[in-house]
Amino acid sequence: MGNFGYLMDGFATVITMHHIVIMIAGVMLGILVGVLPGLGAPNGVSLLLPLTFTMDPISAIILLSCMYWGALFGGSTTSILFNIPGEPSSVATTFDGYPMARSGQATRALTLAFMSAGIGALAGVMMITLLSSWVARFALQFSSPEFFAVYFLAFASFIGMGSNSAAKTLVMMMLGFAFATVGMDTISGGLRLTFGLTDLIKGVSFLVAVMGLFGLGELLLTTEEGLRFEGIKARVRAIDVVRTLKEMPRYGWSILRSTIIGIWMGITPAGPTAASFMSYGLARRFAKDKSQFGKGDPRGIVSPETADHSAGTSALLPMLALGVPGSATAAVMMGGLMIWGLTPGPMLFIDRPDFVWGLIASMYIGNVVAVLLVLTTVPLYASILRVPFSIVGPVIVAIIFSGAYQIANSTFDLWLVLGFGVFGYLFKKLDYPIAPLVLAMVLGDKAEDAFRQSMLMSNGSLTIFWSNPLVSAIMALGLLMLVWPLIATAIGLRGSRRRAGQSAKA
Amino acid sequence: MAEFDKGSVSRRTMEIVTALLTSAAGLSVCYGSWRSGIGWSEMGPGAGYFPFYIGVLIILGSLVTLLRSIFLSRFRGEIFIDGKRARSVFGFFLPIVAFLIVSLFLGLYIGTALYIFASMKWQGGYRWWICILAALAVSALFYIVFEIGFQVPLLKGPVENWLGIY
Repeated sequence: MGNFGYLMDGFATVITMHHIVIMIAGVMLGILVGVLPGLGAPNGVSLLLPLTFTMDPISAIILLSCMYWGALFGGSTTSILFNIPGEPSSVATTFDGYPMARSGQATRALTLAFMSAGIGALAGVMMITLLSSWVARFALQFSSPEFFAVYFLAFASFIGMGSNSAAKTLVMMMLGFAFATVGMDTISGGLRLTFGLTDLIKGVSFLVAVMGLFGLGELLLTTEEGLRFEGIKARVRAIDVVRTLKEMPRYGWSILRSTIIGIWMGITPAGPTAASFMSYGLARRFAKDKSQFGKGDPRGIVSPETADHSAGTSALLPMLALGVPGSATAAVMMGGLMIWGLTPGPMLFIDRPDFVWGLIASMYIGNVVAVLLVLTTVPLYASILRVPFSIVGPVIVAIIFSGAYQIANSTFDLWLVLGFGVFGYLFKKLDYPIAPLVLAMVLGDKAEDAFRQSMLMSNGSLTIFWSNPLVSAIMALGLLMLVWPLIATAIGLRGSRRRAGQSAKA
Repeated sequence: MAEFDKGSVSRRTMEIVTALLTSAAGLSVCYGSWRSGIGWSEMGPGAGYFPFYIGVLIILGSLVTLLRSIFLSRFRGEIFIDGKRARSVFGFFLPIVAFLIVSLFLGLYIGTALYIFASMKWQGGYRWWICILAALAVSALFYIVFEIGFQVPLLKGPVENWLGIY
């Protein structure tokens, strides 16, 4: 049976009253989480995760993934109406989205954003439909050294492609690995890094880290900025929506280019934030008339939105097929999969095709549902941001701590969240990237197991990572990613020198 | 160099403090792993083998950041936080600490209600009956969503016990 057959089965699983209701609920919660300050997609999914332990995995993943889509849309809404990016990945949307909304074209800006986001997301899902089983089949030949090499590649590209300082990225990533090793060692059964604290024996959950770093840290940062949100009143009129839809084909090239950028950045762990910035930058560079950028150029809305959402959806491909998530939110979802007793990676396609294709089918429907819902409910969500922070802030704090308690019914976790919150605030202000820490916490055990098994196979010799063409190729690619900044500077230097030479001639 | 207001902290200081903190974390990871055995056991690499090198990398990365913040003048004149902002951050943070301590004794439902009441009353300046209504509404909503909807228990204290709610 081909992918198409599986996909149809997936649709059959997903199109039931029960699942559609879950989708709507997920999208609505997601938009809410995306709109509220301090609650982003990773944090929202973490808060919802403990509530899904009793659900069946298909319903649970539909709920969580739809929340992710909703949060991406919610983030764009606040970017456009309030000039406050609800998500880091929608920062680029504020550049042109807010000016357009301020000039009285709020509906046009929102429609452009949502439609291009929807197109980007659907393109990402189609890519997953076409490629995932191929990637999974390829990954079936992997054994421990290859898996470790893939993890190495993922983390190397974080260091090489990230916009933050490489040393800071390294520190965050390794802190994540260190947190993952706290507690019982799965191979020897001994306790590690617990420093005599009994509360640490069960380990540090990545959910606790996400709630503190993303949730509380973000809130503390928000309080600093003063707490008045001045937004633009938006009433979505159907006639404006239709008029904007008619102008969409004009941005075909921007959408196509941004989709490709988004899909690439989503599959590699660069993630949606980098994708949206890069796409915005390229849209500006390729535009013949640059004068309108920053003042409400439609291409400045369409490009980052398309890239953001196609990267967001594409991030699920490496998570499903390889077990390596492409973004912080995907990492949290992958952690969820493991808690539900599923092993992300190539075997998932063989063991649970109903789960994989149910999820993929739900991504098609979920994104369509999300576009429709977000267009109709924007005014409602915009009004939530007008509720004073002295109410919204404490409620969010209470939700975060209630969520943290539910992970393991442990009061110690509450203090951990507080600690992570303080560090999240500190790290954010000093430009330490947080996503690598979360990724490393989720992948830590798997990466370490892969490493130790490889070492066992080779009796402690590192040459096993260069023992066959496949593993060598992945390791070489990883090393290339690691030194990429150096190469890029070298090329960039040459390029700028050439340009300088040309201008001197002219 | 820019003039600092009274009570403001420079970015450079915080960069150095944070780098020192992460190096300390790296050192404790190394120490902890060393205690679990970083060598080779009969079952292959020991339990501390992998985390030991993680700790080493944390220290290396922190040292690079530390040296860069000390010797490069990138953040010179940049302010991490000034007095006014620090006050509003602490004004938000300290009530959270109080909320946690109260919740440990009285449970999360009562803790939440008190915390929301207090924040609305003293930071939002609302009338007391609005604050009470909002606080009760949020706690009741939590109860409905968590205990009834998803059937996951939240931390409870003596008051729930006394009321007979489990």
